Amino acid sequence: MTTRPALLLRALAGLIVLVLLWSLFAGLPRDLFGQGWRQAEATRQWSFPRDHGSHPEYRTEWWYFTGNLADSEGKRYGYQLTFFRYGLALEAQDPSSSWSVRDVYLAHFAITDASRGGFHWRDRASRKGPGLAGAATGTMDIHVLNWSARMKDDGRITLKAAQDGMELDLNLTPAKPPVLHGRQGLSRKGPRPGQASHYYSFTDLTARGTLRVPGMKDPVAVKGTSWFDQEFGSNQLSQEQAGWDWFALHLSDGRDLMIYYLRRKDGTFERESSGTLVERDGTSRHLALGDIETEVLSHWKSAKTAGRYPAAWRIRVPAAAIDVTVRPLVADQELVTTASTGITYWEGAVDGRGTSGEKEVSAEGYVELTGYAGSLGGKF
Amino acid sequence: MRSVIRSFLRYLARRKSLSILQLLGIALGVAAAVGMMLASRSALESLGSAVDFLKGGTTHTIARPAGPMEETVLAGIMRDPAVRYFAPVIDRKVRLTGGQQIRMLGLDPFLDRNVRSITARIGASAGDGRTGEAFSSFLFDPGAVLVDENMARGLNLSAGSAIATLQGPLNVVHVFSNPSGEPLMIIDVGHAQKFFRMRGYVDRADLVVTDEEAFRQRWATGFTIESNTQKARNLSALLGAFKLNLEALSLFALFVGIFLIYNTAMFAVVSRRRDAGIFLAIGASRGQVAGAFLVEVLILGVAGGALGGVLGYFLSKFLVEIVGGTISTLYFFLRPSALPWSSWNLAGGVFLGSAASIVGSLPPLLELRRVRPVHVLRGRTATRGTSKRMRTIALFGTACLALALVLFGLSFLHAYVGFAGAFAFLLGASFFAGFVIIVATPGMKRLFSRVMGLAGRIAIGNIRENLGRTSVAVAAFMIALSMSIGLGSMIDSFRRSLVWWMDSQLRGDLYISTKADVNVPEELYEELKTVPGIGGIDVFRNVPITFRGRPASITSIDASVLERYDRFGWLEGGDGSWERVKRGDVIVSESFSRRFKVGTGSRITIETARGPAELLVAGVYYDYASEHGVVMMDRSVYLRLFRDRTINSLGIFIDEGNQDRAKIIEEVKRRARSFGLPFATREEFHGRILDIFDSTFAVTRSMRVLAVIVAFFGIAGALMTLFVERQKEFGVYRALGFTTGDVARMTVAESLGLGLISFLMSAVVGTVFALILIKVINLQSFNWTIFYHFTARPYVVTGLTALAASLAACAYPVWSVVRKYPVMQIREE
Repeated sequence: MTTRPALLLRALAGLIVLVLLWSLFAGLPRDLFGQGWRQAEATRQWSFPRDHGSHPEYRTEWWYFTGNLADSEGKRYGYQLTFFRYGLALEAQDPSSSWSVRDVYLAHFAITDASRGGFHWRDRASRKGPGLAGAATGTMDIHVLNWSARMKDDGRITLKAAQDGMELDLNLTPAKPPVLHGRQGLSRKGPRPGQASHYYSFTDLTARGTLRVPGMKDPVAVKGTSWFDQEFGSNQLSQEQAGWDWFALHLSDGRDLMIYYLRRKDGTFERESSGTLVERDGTSRHLALGDIETEVLSHWKSAKTAGRYPAAWRIRVPAAAIDVTVRPLVADQELVTTASTGITYWEGAVDGRGTSGEKEVSAEGYVELTGYAGSLGGKF
Repeated sequence: MRSVIRSFLRYLARRKSLSILQLLGIALGVAAAVGMMLASRSALESLGSAVDFLKGGTTHTIARPAGPMEETVLAGIMRDPAVRYFAPVIDRKVRLTGGQQIRMLGLDPFLDRNVRSITARIGASAGDGRTGEAFSSFLFDPGAVLVDENMARGLNLSAGSAIATLQGPLNVVHVFSNPSGEPLMIIDVGHAQKFFRMRGYVDRADLVVTDEEAFRQRWATGFTIESNTQKARNLSALLGAFKLNLEALSLFALFVGIFLIYNTAMFAVVSRRRDAGIFLAIGASRGQVAGAFLVEVLILGVAGGALGGVLGYFLSKFLVEIVGGTISTLYFFLRPSALPWSSWNLAGGVFLGSAASIVGSLPPLLELRRVRPVHVLRGRTATRGTSKRMRTIALFGTACLALALVLFGLSFLHAYVGFAGAFAFLLGASFFAGFVIIVATPGMKRLFSRVMGLAGRIAIGNIRENLGRTSVAVAAFMIALSMSIGLGSMIDSFRRSLVWWMDSQLRGDLYISTKADVNVPEELYEELKTVPGIGGIDVFRNVPITFRGRPASITSIDASVLERYDRFGWLEGGDGSWERVKRGDVIVSESFSRRFKVGTGSRITIETARGPAELLVAGVYYDYASEHGVVMMDRSVYLRLFRDRTINSLGIFIDEGNQDRAKIIEEVKRRARSFGLPFATREEFHGRILDIFDSTFAVTRSMRVLAVIVAFFGIAGALMTLFVERQKEFGVYRALGFTTGDVARMTVAESLGLGLISFLMSAVVGTVFALILIKVINLQSFNWTIFYHFTARPYVVTGLTALAASLAACAYPVWSVVRKYPVMQIREE
């Protein structure tokens, strides 16, 4: 899925993209250039839990958690906790030094407080260092400083993050098996070979735990559903892309819907834009661009960045008899990640109603919108 | 009234040179005081801004009590809920091949950007394309450094330049702005570990802590946590004694300045007694005359004060450089910038000038109220009964001296009490000027008549006759000369004591690196141990600590080596103490002993990497290395308590009479060179310490020069007033058959006589003042004993100064005698 690689690069824009750009021109240092990284060109033999771990032979990788939660009083929250690994060198220059850089780890953490209309976020970056950040291979064990995602032997995932009055401590239990997107998990991002990534999701995770937002004295117990994406690749992006819209929706009848639109600068959608529909029993099917119809119903303009974002959608998948309209829980769920990376995007909790299989359903989930604030397109 | 004033002011214009001299006298007095005060204030105020820049947004730092901290500690800090941000720091020095030492910080750009902006802006000025290049070089090139603009300017560096250091080459990838003025290099923390050979360690972590109490509780054992307020307080405490010294110097400057102004104002009034008599005779009221005087003095005071304020401002620009240099040499980098011009300088100068002028003119004005017009008009300038009054004044002076003694006795209360005593002493001594003149007159008369004949005899008689004026002139001149002698003797004694101390404690044949320099890798120490012919190697390590809330330091040495080769000067204990040091006891420096009131047999508790440790004091030794106090222990004890293997420097000792001495030293030098380490022979090392010592007293020395300049104007002004006032008398002398040359000689003799009396008096007062500085002020503020050594130099220098000032002061009157002779008549105008 295109969103994430582009977002990642975008997330690194402040520092690393420029390193890359420079290395493209200057050709030095050799390791920084894309050469040598494994490309996502063919389908792979998936094996879990091994593939929940890191794949350092690929240059970029991310673990993406989003979820919709509620406390005992019915107050609603959304959260996003994302970890990125970005390879700067194929090998650390001086393996005996923990500071010698191979990868940079980044993370974004956001909580939406729907009842109070609040949105809080933080972001950070670190090298591996002496236990400061890292992603294990063979199992899901990722941390960037004291934010972490770890999978236990029984398959449950623990998320922990805290900073500046925000706190998240969640246990996630998969209700459906991993879903492979695209063809056998090979998700195409563009027409050229290698413009793809390996991509799978836990689309339905039962979440339980505690959460705190600034201003709350103590954390509150919350429960709800979460969505997890993992994706890795080395060279997915095309120069003509302007940005992307990504939807991850849970329908109350047990169906999950993922859609991404890759927007080209000329205003059209990339042909590889697509989606996945996951049924209640965990079976899934690929949706091509032509299978999905999306209509933007309104817009929201950010006072901070002057970015103008879509703010309500009517999504139809006629082949699956899905017709839902979703809106953000809070209008402003825009992240300006100046502290680490300098990228600006909108990623927020949404909900809505509609029909699925001719039955009335409610929907909730997350939407990500990039390339609406600032000049994203030219750089990629 | 107005006509009286107008007439007075016309006089000012008429006596242009005298007025200018008086104006300059006041201006210089004010300038000395304002300049010194401004300089010390700006130095101390810049303390905060120097700390602020590197501090960034951090609130605390955490480090081991001594030496570097294991980098694995960082992960624990990272998990601490009270820590909002943390950033590892390696804080060391690099020696350039040119000899310059530069501070180099090892930082992690990913974590550091949360607390400081330096690394966040790498390549920012180079434009987009170069930003990535700079950043990637910084991360991947082991020699890549960021250089601050000051250093870049000083060494003509820009992105791409190479820097040669003793420890290897570095290259500049980016130049960053640095308002603190401290030359600074930034390197990636990983490369810093390699560069400084400290893999696995950092020096400290800078933190943003949200819950200080909880954090301190969790990290109580084995760590030193310092808040930024504490840090600023500690820096300020480090400067404590120095600050006190600056304050003392400003006060002395103020004292001399006020004395000079007083002196000037007094002469301005006294020289106009006759005019006052005339006005009274023609019907002006005493109030009118006094008012006119006050106006005149005020005009002088205001104009001189304003000029002094401006001069003082410029003087402060010069002094602040010296002060900053001294602080940087002795304590930590500080580049104070002179305070910006403020009209308060002017206001302060005017206030000081006019207030001191009014005080100075009060006694003669009071006298004026009693003056009988006929009496003054008769032309008698001397006042009767002065010798009796001088005795009364001397009695008053005795009271002042007694007060000084009492204050010295109480000086243990606070250093300021000692200062007050010193002032009381100087003031008291100045009251003896008249008395001394009376006492010295017979002898001086004999001396001067033998050398210069009748002219000399009359000159001394004149000094005695005009006691009211000459005593003030002598007092002012004497005070300035005494300060010169006192400060000079104190510095010479200190220097001698320092030489004695170096000869007893720094007896190594070769020193590799120094305390403030780059660290010595342990490999070199191990290597040198195998070099045949070396008698002993002292492994020196010095770390600052906080003891009972105040700064102090711990020094670790090799006790058996020092026992064999050094000859410590002991206040308590003796060479036998080394045995106990080897067994685990410590010895403390004199300043430590005095500051914390501990001596042989005391037990002191020190925070170590293993928690608090109790140590027994086995001796107290003389030391001038740190006024904050040193606890000295054997390296084995230090390693056990602090687990810090850092070595600051090595002292190489070779047995006397070893034939291969030169060869061994060459061999050690060769090995030091291969590690990129600086070294110095004993003589070079001692020379460097003396250089530092001398630069330390640069401020004091410039104050001494200032005192002399002020003195010169004081004596010149006084003499000129005397001569101008008595020009008519020259006519009388001429009528009596004196030649112009005789009159001129008389003038010179009078000036020399005043200079001689002042100097003789200052020789005594200055010596006592030196003793006060040494035994009271220094002991109180630095807690160390300086041994008084008599040196002739301060006396010779001051004597020559007095001679030059006396001659220069009479130059104008003599010239005017020679030039004006024809118009100088006995008759009244």
